[in-house]
Amino acid sequence: MSLSRSLLHACLSSVALALPGLAMASTLTVQITADIRSSQPGINRDAGTDSVMLNVVEGLVAAGEKGEIRPMLAKDWSVSADGKAYTFTIRDGVKFHNGETMTAADVEWSLEKLIRDPEFSCKTFFDGSRDAKVETIKATDDRTVVITLDRPDAMFLNYMAQAQCGSTGIVHRASFNGDGSWKAPVATGPFVFGDWKRGEGLVLKKFADYSITGDKPDGYGGRKDVLVDQVKYMVVPDTATAVAGLRSGALDVLPYLPPGEAAKLKDEKDFTIVAAPHGGLVTMLFQTTDTLMSNVAMRHAVIAALDTPAIVDSVTYGLGIPNNSLVSSGSLYHTATHDKGYVYDPQAVPALLQKAGYKGEKIVILTNRRSAINYDTAIIAQAMLQSAGINAEIEVLEWASQLDRFNSGKYQIMAFNYSNRTDPGLAYQTVVGSKAKKPNTVWDDADVAALVNKSLQEADPEKRQAIFDDLHARFLDQAPFVMLANGLDVGVSGPKVRGYRTWQGFARFWGVERSE
Amino acid sequence: MLKFASTRLLSAIPTLFIVSVAVFGLIRLIPGDPASLMLGDLADADALAAARKTMGLDQPVPVQFLIWLGNVVQGDLGRSVLNGQPVLDLVLHRFATSAQMVLIAVGLSVLIAVPLGMAAAWRQNGGLDLTIVALSTLLLSVPTFWLGLMILLAFGLKLGWLPVLGYVSIADNPVAGLIYLVMPVLTLVLHEVGIIVRMARASTLDVLRLDYITHARAKGMSESAVLLHHAARNAFGPTWTLIGLILGNLLGGVAVVETVFTIPGLGRLIVDSIYARDYAVVQGCLLFVALTYLLVNLVVDLLYPLFDPRVTAE
Repeated sequence: MSLSRSLLHACLSSVALALPGLAMASTLTVQITADIRSSQPGINRDAGTDSVMLNVVEGLVAAGEKGEIRPMLAKDWSVSADGKAYTFTIRDGVKFHNGETMTAADVEWSLEKLIRDPEFSCKTFFDGSRDAKVETIKATDDRTVVITLDRPDAMFLNYMAQAQCGSTGIVHRASFNGDGSWKAPVATGPFVFGDWKRGEGLVLKKFADYSITGDKPDGYGGRKDVLVDQVKYMVVPDTATAVAGLRSGALDVLPYLPPGEAAKLKDEKDFTIVAAPHGGLVTMLFQTTDTLMSNVAMRHAVIAALDTPAIVDSVTYGLGIPNNSLVSSGSLYHTATHDKGYVYDPQAVPALLQKAGYKGEKIVILTNRRSAINYDTAIIAQAMLQSAGINAEIEVLEWASQLDRFNSGKYQIMAFNYSNRTDPGLAYQTVVGSKAKKPNTVWDDADVAALVNKSLQEADPEKRQAIFDDLHARFLDQAPFVMLANGLDVGVSGPKVRGYRTWQGFARFWGVERSE
Repeated sequence: MLKFASTRLLSAIPTLFIVSVAVFGLIRLIPGDPASLMLGDLADADALAAARKTMGLDQPVPVQFLIWLGNVVQGDLGRSVLNGQPVLDLVLHRFATSAQMVLIAVGLSVLIAVPLGMAAAWRQNGGLDLTIVALSTLLLSVPTFWLGLMILLAFGLKLGWLPVLGYVSIADNPVAGLIYLVMPVLTLVLHEVGIIVRMARASTLDVLRLDYITHARAKGMSESAVLLHHAARNAFGPTWTLIGLILGNLLGGVAVVETVFTIPGLGRLIVDSIYARDYAVVQGCLLFVALTYLLVNLVVDLLYPLFDPRVTAE
């Protein structure tokens, strides 16, 4: 072979290795719209970071498909009679990514390190400021860990499994540098954290020694068969570019696509659209301290003027499921009671407006362009309200500005999405409270707050169900805001991908196959 | 020349101070709280207060400014609130990415646009002139995001000649790095060519009307000799100034092109940081951009006498 041909061959080989479309076999290439914030679970995180990192780390327990708590690194647990001590039995033979076998002492060390970290995003779940305080974490033998609380807390395991807490993931000491600073996760999950190029993307590699099995995939618990060698995440902020990448084969999965973009691909046989609601809330908030919106008849008038199923259908391009209950449509607590929702009745609006003493005053709906669902909701709602005789106007803000207005409570109506809350109690806790203490509270009612607290302390599912049913009836009666649907995640996978599905807003890559 | 350069550099200090005050103040005038953006709707009042304290936002703005300025003077631009990275490292890394794309693009633009502009002037009002002027106007009018997407769809998707996504640093793999840069560079070149052609044409036309050109023609020199030996160098002066401005501008970030072609450059960092209200990064980036702009234009001024001996760097 001549020198020039050798050189050409070498050049082409090096290019081929670098091009995503020509990368190694069994590499699943996935879009992320922004880089992860950190590789430390539960610390400096956002939803996108959680979605990536929960392929790498696991906690003692995990959330199942319907939000039930499932065993993960703990094979089982028991709760003491006084509800204050949780005894976890650790699974045998669980390996860390560095090959070491996990012990109860590792669990104690890791949990102590995370829960006592002042930057832990779920600090308030465990320090007594919101619910119970974790007093001690003790490894009583090689396989047993006992966590003692200062008071009973029915939500404790739920908090442990929360995605924004990084599932209180257990990591090895080698995850930290000698000075105690974070290095990279050495955890137990089905993927190993690989090369991370900030601003460009990262790679997760299959963990060959992963041993935890279950009968079937079940939320973040259950069976986790890894069917690809690695997952390569690429930061692609622009949707049009990402879709071009999917079409060219450079990307295999776009986990978070605006519904409008996904709808354009719906009829193309090469692409599989996956859409599923999660525990987030798609809402139109009312400021109940506002002169106009403080009147419950006014709020009912607005609701009667809104055809909420039509709004949901339109803004999600037929992919969303209307839900007027704060109990997520995927929750085991979402019974027929929670299917009862608003009645679209434009004929009733004039009487309600008269009762409210409305004289055509302007009502401003705040929205933003970051969320296509928020923006489209505001547009359609404005048209429906105007046609019902309500003088609605839209003010479009940049997202950070809108969040500022949300936190200060300075708005009349606002199209707003809450992030994922897997448990209905947490969904209610997010919106219920005292506006005097917390201006971003939406539903200020002492009786309701007491019920919500009760739901968080109650472990019996039947009693919790009764509380949620009661709360839903009060919600429809008081109309503190408009609940349109649960958050919706729409993803698209390419022709070579099998088995990808979205769940609770997370992109899990076990059970996903890529054919060559 | 040394005196000129040092005077210019010293005069940059008050400029940079004004820029730093403006950037520091303006970013804080925009509504939006970095702490609440970071914590999202999980935030309660205590968590927000704690986050603000950690970020130093609990201090009065003038105190925040003085602390930041004191650190900047010592070469510390702070840390990103988003990922904890030192801002200086972040800025330099992203700048290197943007710079390799911008320098190639501007270099190619000059090589294409200057001869085209001069040729258009040489054949003023002829078919060639009209074609070049029409094309340059068209290229100027087309938004870069649209142009970029069309190039991406054509060469990446339809023809499949070039990778649609991704980025490889030239330092890591020169061949692959260049292949990834083809489409973004082409987008920038097409846009900048439109601007430079017009300036090259206009300045060449100005020079061609001067007496010494008439004199050269009267001596019986050929048109090509007049153009290349007498007009070109003098006509390039104003174009050179424009190139300096373009270079300074593009080195400050080409966010749109970087977003379309997934290049992790400085422009994308600035935009992302503004959305996230990552004050330290926004301040660091913009201060760096201002410094880059000043330095590029200083170099342009220092080199100007090479093209126009009437101007001296004194």
